[in-house]
Amino acid sequence: MTSTNEHSTPLFSAVSGSTRQLFQLLRCINFVSKAQVRITKEGLRFTAEESQVMQGAVVLDKALFTAYSYSPPAFNEDEDEEDAESPPFQISLSSLLETLQIFGINDVKDRWSNRETGYNGLNGLTARGGPAGVFENRILGMNGICRLSYAAVGEPLRIILEETGVTTTCELVTYEPEYQEDIPFQKDAIAQKIIMRASWLDDAINELSSTSPARLTLVASPIAPYFTLSSSGPLGSATIEFSKDPQLLETFQVPRRTINTYKYSLIRGASRAMALATKVSIRSDEQGVLSLQFMIEVDGGGISFVDFRFVPFIPEDGEGDEESEVGEAEGFE
Amino acid sequence: MDLQLILTALNSSKSAYASFSLDAIVFFDKYNFNPGTAKGRQNLDDAEARFTCQLYNKALLSVFKGRLGDVKDKDTAVERCECYIQEQPDQTECRLIVKIICRHGVIKTYKLTYESVEVMHALFNKNAAKNTWTIGASTLRSFAEYFGANTEQLDISTENGRATFTSYTEKVMNGRDVLKQPLQTSITIDNLDFEDFTVEEQLHVGISVKDFKAIVTHAETLKTSITAFYSFPTRPMQLNYHEHGMQCEFTLMTIGDYRGGSVTPAPAAVQQVSAAPVEKPLSRQFTAQASSITTLQKSTTMPPPSEPASRSFTREPQSQRTQRPSPPPPKPSLGTESLFMPADEDEDRIWGEKNYDDEQDTLGWDASANNAPGLNVTRRESESSSRLPPYRSWHEDLNIRIAPTQRISDVKALFD
Repeated sequence: MTSTNEHSTPLFSAVSGSTRQLFQLLRCINFVSKAQVRITKEGLRFTAEESQVMQGAVVLDKALFTAYSYSPPAFNEDEDEEDAESPPFQISLSSLLETLQIFGINDVKDRWSNRETGYNGLNGLTARGGPAGVFENRILGMNGICRLSYAAVGEPLRIILEETGVTTTCELVTYEPEYQEDIPFQKDAIAQKIIMRASWLDDAINELSSTSPARLTLVASPIAPYFTLSSSGPLGSATIEFSKDPQLLETFQVPRRTINTYKYSLIRGASRAMALATKVSIRSDEQGVLSLQFMIEVDGGGISFVDFRFVPFIPEDGEGDEESEVGEAEGFE
Repeated sequence: MDLQLILTALNSSKSAYASFSLDAIVFFDKYNFNPGTAKGRQNLDDAEARFTCQLYNKALLSVFKGRLGDVKDKDTAVERCECYIQEQPDQTECRLIVKIICRHGVIKTYKLTYESVEVMHALFNKNAAKNTWTIGASTLRSFAEYFGANTEQLDISTENGRATFTSYTEKVMNGRDVLKQPLQTSITIDNLDFEDFTVEEQLHVGISVKDFKAIVTHAETLKTSITAFYSFPTRPMQLNYHEHGMQCEFTLMTIGDYRGGSVTPAPAAVQQVSAAPVEKPLSRQFTAQASSITTLQKSTTMPPPSEPASRSFTREPQSQRTQRPSPPPPKPSLGTESLFMPADEDEDRIWGEKNYDDEQDTLGWDASANNAPGLNVTRRESESSSRLPPYRSWHEDLNIRIAPTQRISDVKALFD
């Protein structure tokens, strides 16, 4: 079905003035090397999956781009898809991130200050060295332009980065998707919903790392202790307890007590999003699937969301668990 | 009876020992010790009662490490910390529970497993430590900052009413590769900078820079003064300071060559004596509670250094010095691979003790925590006969001492 016509309009193209935003968001799901991309009218949806028990998703909303065009293929009418959507594809996430930071996106601010001190060092004695940065591209709002394009299904994803007259063109090979389904999360059967500052969750998760745990247990309860995270390791156990203080837990909807256990190292996989986000919504459904939704305010305005889903360990004896370290962690206390 | 919580640690080579005694009333907001609930100690009355346990430093540190970064204005700043020992038979036993209570009702609870064992304490005989100085920790800290980051040893010496702290690294070569570059930093402090200074002239002792820096840094945070006690090299040195109900004591083994006055044989002779195999029947060594091992130096096969005068830390009568002036001890220009020690002596030899005839302080162990200065809360085990100074037991065999470095088998035999 790949009919390449160089002169026709590409299936998808977008221009972004700030690669930093894209980079920051995509880095949140950089826990596996490949990500699946789905292009819609509303934006680009990147998902990454680990062993079918953890999933991270980022939507690069249309609003993040200065120009965004998506022209679904005409033959789509034959297929009975609800939306005019091209089939998803996979790309190497690590390569994409590498590409986006080719001009040093990672530490734009540091680079900026470094450069300034560099100037001072060079012109150390001349006073006019001071305002050297007036015509900096950053000040002029020209700090790198990123063009994304995807000519047709099966074509590579093309990324063109321009900064100060230097143009880099990268073509990332697209792969057939390995998985189609998201981890099911029953939005109509939510057992618990807690919204809090993401940095607090990040602190708590980091705090627990001292026991070098294999598992993390989340307990939410309508009576005290309201929300606890706990873990245990060979040297002891640790528990972090949150009170219901509205300053602490902005939203606390827990109709009944829930106990779920997740693999600690997977939760740690979301730590980049935790550190970056302002707020997190912690939800779990009746089956114990955990959804962590992070609200991230990227610099330059706008709010984006990064979503994570985790499949819990089977409660009690863990009969169906394939994790080998389960037994040790279980036998501790 | 003053209640205390005592935390002690001993490094793996058993050359450095740290003890922090936290006063129940001054240091803690609330302190409750009810020995009646402690198992297996029914035969002791309240005054004798104590609780000892041992846990992994790593586990305990992981709870408190990085808390310094929790600044007060942070939203979840630490408000207080509570610790409990859980050893009731109806609950999970052997847990040290640390509860850190933060603002907004965030409670962090750690349950650390401990081992219920008798804890040993280093013995230090302050009476034998004739050399002593006291100096403000901040003064010492400001000087200690100049010690090279990679230097390993610290030599403390006195001459003409001045104390010299020299940090140095010996050159380490592997074939043609220089693994470690020699480096030396000397800082001379006038006696007037010390609050108290009573040290024998020309005395050199060596300790580890890292230990020294750690101690000084901690003492500086308390804005207090450090006092050092020592006798002579190869004998332990004690550094202590106290503030806010916290009594901190560090017992460090020192290195360096000791040569007494006329009574002591010439250095070469000392080396030969110590190098000779001195075997003692094992049964003799473990007669007393504080018994120890004297025969560590038997493993030495190295011949004595050929130039002892230039290499050693000397402590000689002035008359001898005029005849054979020895250069200031740490001198990288000597060009030897090892400045202060014969290059490839093994660890045992370095820390091993020589057979002095006189009774001296030495690093020993006391399970009862009674005799170490400042550790007066607890009493010896009731079956222990002596309430005498710690080295009384050594009279039973003057040669029986415990060296800071011991073979594992010996340690086991001692304390099992």
